[in-house]
Amino acid sequence: MGRGGKKGTVTPRELNPSPRLKRGPKMGKRRKMKRKKKKTDMEELKKEVVLVRTPPPSLVLLLRSGLSIRPWFLSTQGLSPERAQEILKKNGPNALTPPPTTPEWVKFCRQLFGGFSILLWIGAILCFLAYGIQVHYKEDSTKDNLYLGMVLAIVVMITGCFSYYQEAKSSKIMESFRNMVPQQALVIRAGEKMQINVEDVVVGDLVEVKGGDRIPADLRLISTQGCKVDNSSLTGESEPQTRSPDFTHENPLETRNICFFSTNCVEGTARGIVIATGDSTVMGRIATLTSGLVVGKTPIAAEIEHFIQLITGVAGFLGVSFFVLSLILGYGWLEAVIFLIGIIVANVPEGLLATVTVCLTLTAKRMSRKNCLVKNLEAVETLGSTSTICSDKTGTLTQNRMTVAHMWFDKTIYEADTSEEQTGKTFAKGSTTWFILARIAALCNRADFKPNQETLPIAKRATTGDASESALLKFIEQSYSSVEEMREQNPKVAEIPFNSTNKYQMSIHLQEDGSQAHVLMMKGAPERILEFCSTYLLKGKEYPMDDEMKKNFQNAYLELGGLGERVLGFCFLNLPSTFSKGFRFNTDEINFPMENLCFVGLISMIDPPRAAVPDAVGKCRSAGIKVIMVTGDHPITAKAIAKGVGIISEGNETAEDMAARLQVPVSQTNPREAKAIVVHGSDLKDMTSEQLDEILKNHTEIVFARTSPQQKLIIVEGCQRQGAVVAVTGDGVNDSPALKKADIGIAMGISGSDVSKQAADMILLDDNFASIVTGVEEGRLIFDNLKKSIAYTLTSNIPEITPFLLFIILSIPLPLGTITILCIDLGTDMVPAISLAYESAESDIMKRAPRNPKNDNLVNNRLIGMAYGQIGMIQALAGFFTYFVILAENGFKPIDLLGIRLNWEDRFFNDLEDSYGQQWTYEQRKVLEFTCQTAFFVSIVVVQWADLIICKTRRNSVFQQGMKNNILIFGIMEETFLAAFLSYTPGMDVALRMYPLKLPWWLCAIPYSVLIFVYDEIRKLTIRRHPGGWLERETYY
Amino acid sequence: MTKKEKRSFNQSLAEWKLFIYNPTTGEFLGRTAKSWGLTVFPKPVTALEYSFTVSDPESYKGYIEDLRKFLKPYESEEQKNLTACSDGALFEQKGPVYSACQFPLPLLQACSGVDDPDFGYSRGSPCVLVKMNRIIGLKPQGMPRIECTSKSENTATLSTYPFNGVIDLKYFPYYGKKLHVSYLQPLVAVQVSFNATSSTTNEVTVECKIDGSPNLKNQDDRDKFLGRVVFKVIARA
Repeated sequence: MGRGGKKGTVTPRELNPSPRLKRGPKMGKRRKMKRKKKKTDMEELKKEVVLVRTPPPSLVLLLRSGLSIRPWFLSTQGLSPERAQEILKKNGPNALTPPPTTPEWVKFCRQLFGGFSILLWIGAILCFLAYGIQVHYKEDSTKDNLYLGMVLAIVVMITGCFSYYQEAKSSKIMESFRNMVPQQALVIRAGEKMQINVEDVVVGDLVEVKGGDRIPADLRLISTQGCKVDNSSLTGESEPQTRSPDFTHENPLETRNICFFSTNCVEGTARGIVIATGDSTVMGRIATLTSGLVVGKTPIAAEIEHFIQLITGVAGFLGVSFFVLSLILGYGWLEAVIFLIGIIVANVPEGLLATVTVCLTLTAKRMSRKNCLVKNLEAVETLGSTSTICSDKTGTLTQNRMTVAHMWFDKTIYEADTSEEQTGKTFAKGSTTWFILARIAALCNRADFKPNQETLPIAKRATTGDASESALLKFIEQSYSSVEEMREQNPKVAEIPFNSTNKYQMSIHLQEDGSQAHVLMMKGAPERILEFCSTYLLKGKEYPMDDEMKKNFQNAYLELGGLGERVLGFCFLNLPSTFSKGFRFNTDEINFPMENLCFVGLISMIDPPRAAVPDAVGKCRSAGIKVIMVTGDHPITAKAIAKGVGIISEGNETAEDMAARLQVPVSQTNPREAKAIVVHGSDLKDMTSEQLDEILKNHTEIVFARTSPQQKLIIVEGCQRQGAVVAVTGDGVNDSPALKKADIGIAMGISGSDVSKQAADMILLDDNFASIVTGVEEGRLIFDNLKKSIAYTLTSNIPEITPFLLFIILSIPLPLGTITILCIDLGTDMVPAISLAYESAESDIMKRAPRNPKNDNLVNNRLIGMAYGQIGMIQALAGFFTYFVILAENGFKPIDLLGIRLNWEDRFFNDLEDSYGQQWTYEQRKVLEFTCQTAFFVSIVVVQWADLIICKTRRNSVFQQGMKNNILIFGIMEETFLAAFLSYTPGMDVALRMYPLKLPWWLCAIPYSVLIFVYDEIRKLTIRRHPGGWLERETYY
Repeated sequence: MTKKEKRSFNQSLAEWKLFIYNPTTGEFLGRTAKSWGLTVFPKPVTALEYSFTVSDPESYKGYIEDLRKFLKPYESEEQKNLTACSDGALFEQKGPVYSACQFPLPLLQACSGVDDPDFGYSRGSPCVLVKMNRIIGLKPQGMPRIECTSKSENTATLSTYPFNGVIDLKYFPYYGKKLHVSYLQPLVAVQVSFNATSSTTNEVTVECKIDGSPNLKNQDDRDKFLGRVVFKVIARA
């Protein structure tokens, strides 16, 4: 595996602009070879992108770009339009090949024939087969099998259309995210600047980008002016990064002279040569990797498969045994085959597919209201099975907003308010030092609010400028006074902007007191600032810098830095009167004093955790879900945030912490003792998969820092090797392989790139980690509730099958017909089964471990045993009781019914005698039979009341759970009214052959209903009394 | 609950009551009262088609034997313990012992088997018995009779015995197998006499219906035997 190898280097071949050409000569070779080649390609893609050294001019690049031997990298002419056209023809347009989107009809067919549907299809086909046999061998056969087959087919099709529609709706929402505006790029061809479509950009083009542009292709920069790019979509690094023509790093993602396709230029301008376009760009390679990943089955799909196996097993067993039995009883082969098919089909729970789909849809709706947009229905449950969450830090766990966290002045550390709503504490604002500190922070600051946002709270306003300066700006605006006024009163006269060599920023302002004097203000890296200072400010008074102060400074700096915060130092100097108003400051050749400044204080900033995250992480912990932080940030910051949100819990320490505490070198500590670990990306790079497994196994609290997003894929695979169901969050393009590989990929709705949203199964509309946890809760709840729904639905299968079985072996008139069965499965059972999706959890579902997909199944033998073997049997008794009561009431005593079938079914036997000597015509008997079937149906409805109530809970008593589920109460009413409607509506005797019932016949099943309720309450009571006891082991599903 | 609501509730309750049992039509929950089913005897092998050859006694032997067997309980010897009830009125009894009325076989005249042991089959004018299904408690109103018509009037003449196909009310109501021991259900015989004896094969479709009793239905879309029966007679020379 790629991750096992040493630092993966990608040869120039990998940057070949035309993968098609590369494969060209190999096409003719044997298939096996090709497959192998493809596999190694995939492995190659998984590796870090490491370019060859790129100090220009790279000869390879030169040749490949198809340029003349002129020093092209200095060219200002660019390609000739003809040459560009040629290259475009050869390499194709500069666009990512969209992942092979499944055609709509394939998606539709998948809905139509996937998973559960296949069971119903088989049922339908069997029905048609049975009907065919009947038609072929008997002239006057009933059309029941034909109708049943058609109903099955229609049910599958309707449900298929429904789920297809649901998914199509989610993907429509997806599409709305997509930016449809065609992008333009500014290229220089034959010395002329021209706007062309990004698609037409070719390798070798000279391209100009400016702030706000999207980079049109992978660029090797040749000149820049204050250029900064936002690579967050690629690397996850949220800070804009400086770009210059200098080669600074071996890693192409780190070196400054390369800009990447589809990242953004934030400010400045740059000019560069296109080195790769379309699929051969770094972005394109990732997209290719993503679409090439094989994704496993979703847990719910596996569960449904398991369920189908169980049901098929039961159906097959019943079918075959009654096939044999009917042969023994003397039925003909043909009849026996019809019976076999009938029994198998009777086992198909017609309504369950629709129920499951609706339940999942309802939960998906509920989730999207809680900001989790689920792209495919099955992901709803996957989230519930999640046992590991690999979360991004920036934006997901944190607010993605640099915020002032601490200040140090007057030798004291003050805490600033970092909460999202700015409702926290205040600090000593009375100090003069604070006044000066605030002024420096406000004036020596290039950030500004964007216009027209006065109505927004300060913290939410958009700003120009980098994150730290914006943080300072907002902080001062919030806790001091209007920065704009301050700046008006103290106009800036000179400035040295921040750069990475100086590590400070200086500006000179006119004093506001009218003294015409100037003040020099400076901020920057604390150690740099301290070098400029000879005095310090304490409670508004200046003192000479001494060792004690320096020590205090060091301690404060260390403490704040240790919190993972970015620390800035602030100082100032009142310029002497010689530099009063009118003096022309020269910042290139400094003509003013810039030493012996007065140190004021430190301000530290952090991207603070979101308010809801610590709770959410705590919930995950109690829910047995491992939260792993994967971030591109520095280990210290990552660890600080991890501690802040509880990913590293209080009291747990890393090996380094332990070493520090015990004052021994890290090598002497036992890394196994440390529960927490912070893994550095560069270490991860050199790890074998066994080493990674070791880490994942032995540490409960893991932070991966400084990781490249590709390493996420490796981490995800590592977790999956441990058998975990992994949820991964990601926003960058580079995250998309991990998102796809994960059991559930979660893309960020706000900050996420389109590609990541495409690859993900779920989109977090508010980017908030806490929403994932609510999603997990919903997912777990629906799993529990689906169990209940299925238990409820399956139970009525027994009173539906047994009539047919007894019809065969006892030769009694058929107690329940196909139509009535369908009325139950697709009519009365539907709403109650769905209403169980609204059931609230029995206990705190977030306090138990995630389910083990291996042995905690949706449908297990115990569920089937309870539904079929126990409750179902009682229900069947209820039905038969009603059936025999009605027949007896009409003159047919049960004993006389045995073996009556042949005479009963004889159309020309019109004076069949009953137990009292009355004589019945065929039609009169049939009316009686259908009345009995209606009554049997009504009895099932009556016993399903009790079944619904007992299915509300699996362990608790109904009295503990309460009857708060209004949908469920509605369900009971609905099924009752529907049953009454079907029985009493005039014309039903013709339409569905259902007949009105005498009121007392409704009551026949009531005792059985009570029995079911009492029986199950006792069972649950015993389970509660004897946890882990025999009854629980045998019957708790 | 306000008064107004209460009233409307009572109203709807009354509507419900009417639905559950409607005294004017005797409908219970929309169900109608029971009605006779008519069946014929003997039972032909092929559904309701009496086909035989006059010259071949073997072809109708089965019919004759069945008829004899069926009429056995109606012989005067068997009926001597039964009550000779008065004609024209329902014979309602209070029990505990229920007696059955006599049905003298001679009522069936030519089809009684007394004069013609072949029940007309050997002469090409076969007898078919029409009987009413026994239903406990059913009391026919009016003057019920069996009215038989041939679908093609010219080919055959139908004679019904007793005269006019009358069913006497004294045989009703029926009190069930256990209470009403040796009950004899009234019979009506139909004799089909073909007009044209010259042709080799005579064929006629006969429809018999209950008539003259308002509470006995003879027209049901689905039940072809409710108060009526249709059969076909094919007599070859």
